[in-house]
Amino acid sequence: MNFWQFMSHNRTEVLEATAQHLYLVAASIALAALIGIPLGILITRRAVLSKPVLGAANIIQTIPSLALFGFLLPAPWIGERADRLAILALTLYSLLPLIRNTYAGIKGVDRAVIEAGRGMGMTDRQLLWQVELPLALGVIIAGVRVAAVISVGLATIAAAIGAGGLGEYIFRGLAMVNNQVILAGAIPAAILAIAADVGLGWLEKRLSPS
Amino acid sequence: MKQYISILLFLSALLVSCGPGRENRIVVGSKNFTEQLILGEIIAQQIENKTHLPVERKFYLAGTYICQQAILGGRIDIFPEYTGTALTAILKETPSRKREEVLTRVQSEYARRFQLAVGPALGFDDTFAIEIRGEDARRFSLKTLSQAATYTPQWRAGFGYEFMERPDGYQGLVSTYGLHFAEKPRIMDLGLLTRALKDKQVDLIAGNMTDGLIPVLDLYVLEDDKYYFPPYEAVPIVRQELLTKHPEVKAALDELAGKISDDDMRQLNFAVDGQHQDAAQVVKEFLKRKNL
Amino acid sequence: MSQSSQGQPAIEFREVCYELGSSRELLHNLSFRVDPGETLVLLGRSGSGKTTTLKLINVLLEPTAGEILVNGKPLREWDLIRLRRGIGYAIQEVGLFPHFTVARNIGLVPQIENWAPDRVKKRVEELLRLVGLDEKLASRYPRELSGGQRQRVGVARALAADPPILLMDEPFGALDPITRVELQREFLALQDRLKKTVVFVTHDLREALLLGTRIALIDGGKLAAMHTPREFLRSPDPLVKAYVDAFGAEFRDHDRPIQDRGAS
Repeated sequence: MNFWQFMSHNRTEVLEATAQHLYLVAASIALAALIGIPLGILITRRAVLSKPVLGAANIIQTIPSLALFGFLLPAPWIGERADRLAILALTLYSLLPLIRNTYAGIKGVDRAVIEAGRGMGMTDRQLLWQVELPLALGVIIAGVRVAAVISVGLATIAAAIGAGGLGEYIFRGLAMVNNQVILAGAIPAAILAIAADVGLGWLEKRLSPS
Repeated sequence: MKQYISILLFLSALLVSCGPGRENRIVVGSKNFTEQLILGEIIAQQIENKTHLPVERKFYLAGTYICQQAILGGRIDIFPEYTGTALTAILKETPSRKREEVLTRVQSEYARRFQLAVGPALGFDDTFAIEIRGEDARRFSLKTLSQAATYTPQWRAGFGYEFMERPDGYQGLVSTYGLHFAEKPRIMDLGLLTRALKDKQVDLIAGNMTDGLIPVLDLYVLEDDKYYFPPYEAVPIVRQELLTKHPEVKAALDELAGKISDDDMRQLNFAVDGQHQDAAQVVKEFLKRKNL
Repeated sequence: MSQSSQGQPAIEFREVCYELGSSRELLHNLSFRVDPGETLVLLGRSGSGKTTTLKLINVLLEPTAGEILVNGKPLREWDLIRLRRGIGYAIQEVGLFPHFTVARNIGLVPQIENWAPDRVKKRVEELLRLVGLDEKLASRYPRELSGGQRQRVGVARALAADPPILLMDEPFGALDPITRVELQREFLALQDRLKKTVVFVTHDLREALLLGTRIALIDGGKLAAMHTPREFLRSPDPLVKAYVDAFGAEFRDHDRPIQDRGAS
């Protein structure tokens, strides 16, 4: 059968793998946002922390992904279930874009606006929630976008350690020397990455103050 | 404020879409070498024939760990495993030499820790096989490894990389049986070992018990009379949930108990590997032959 | 130097010094009073320290020596947030929140002071009229306004919670001369009505003469002179004269009607 017939015949399985893939990506982005955005806000308030925090996130990024997966395997609890491990690793890789973009987004707010707000008696919290975060939101979403696209790619590698997702098709197809199986994983993965990029790009534009 | 809500909704929609529900399909997995593909196919066809439930095949998964993660994650329901591998690689315990002990231990631990059912044993032991040429076995009337030990100083040995490195491999073997070879063992690819033995480049190798070429090339497997090698009995690993939902699957698998002998497995391996027959076809005929 | 009237000053500087880092002293021994209802203009060249002086009043900067009192209370005894909400602040860049409508910008302090939404709405409409803006602009965004309109919104925002004190840092500096004159006139009219205490920073002598009840000349971080507009033009002080001269011939004519506007 040709490729389309193959995909149609196996659509439930491919959709399942896609759902698993999305789960890995979404869970890790959510965690990275939960940790990274507050951290990014923190380092705008405590300048002395900005270098070490950004530096640490940077170092994590330079670790090759397969190496990080392998490194985390023996860890208790994390290493027992491959999807936990994959989510942890993907979260770590998503931290830098989120921290850095939160930091840059807030720092990039017009100084005159901040000065006016402070001068008029806004508390730091009011300034953060009513001014800085809304104005930084576009840049923060840009960070989420970068993290999402990277994660979709990294999640395919996570199948090498058993986390499932679309990468599993790719690896199986390689072992079977079967192009259709490989493509059944590779094409949806590429579509996911593009969709994330375009979708979040649209969101980024909408939330940026023009 | 509205902006935050729209983001939240977007992300939740993503997460919610990620709960994969599976219909009434049973997924049989396997690792990515021939024997595993055959076993997976046997299990799949047996279930299809006896229960008429739809079966999906997810073969060629890259190894023990991948299969284990896949079954824990619910992505597959059954896969063929070896008791020795389960004990050492997954449970990380030191193996005893007794087959029944190993099987019982794996069964109880897998049930307790993973909610996975194990067994029954399919009938063969895919452990290491120390092979010599059939003509040598007949000439010196050799049956066991202890008997062969006296002749080893005149022989050259060939082993695979993994056998040399494994704790239950080369080192233990020579110390258990007091083997001394004429020269240092030659290390080569598994696939080349059998050829090398046949062509008299080496006189003794460590292969797999179920290697299809053993009968074909007139090779003889020396008996492990000191029970050095841990047992690697082939067993199906099944998600407990599946058995609860479909008890007929258990009945179907129980029928396979002991039905595949060492020789049976070698023949099946050779049919697919050596004669390049289609695995599904080979399995179909095998099941018919065994009246399953 | 001109004496201010007796009674408690709205703002008082006592020997205030401000150092940037460990070496640069931007302000030295600054002492002066601002009386309630007067418009004190801080006049000086770029870098003279006049903006720094202004920012010390609402504690955007803190002095390294000396004391500043607002309404008789030293700044360190004030709740910062309460202090700032009682002081209107309008700067040259305006600093309108780009993601707020004009109405929301103006209503900022009332909103964070938890006024009832109705009251806020009323006040915003009132202020738009006060600064001469069409009420239809209330739902527009700052990017849709002209420079002059934005400045007016900035002033309206500073006045929103009806603070007794107003700090203005070259608010009309970025505008074209025609709009600038317009806004200066309107400021005068506003001051006549509202009688706020205003500290107004500018480098433009004409603006100072027009708007100030008194002019404080800041030079090199020190208070060089403090005069009413009339006295300023007549002062023999070399620094003052230099400033007047820099602005050209029109001011050498002593008969020009420069009114001294008294604080009342």
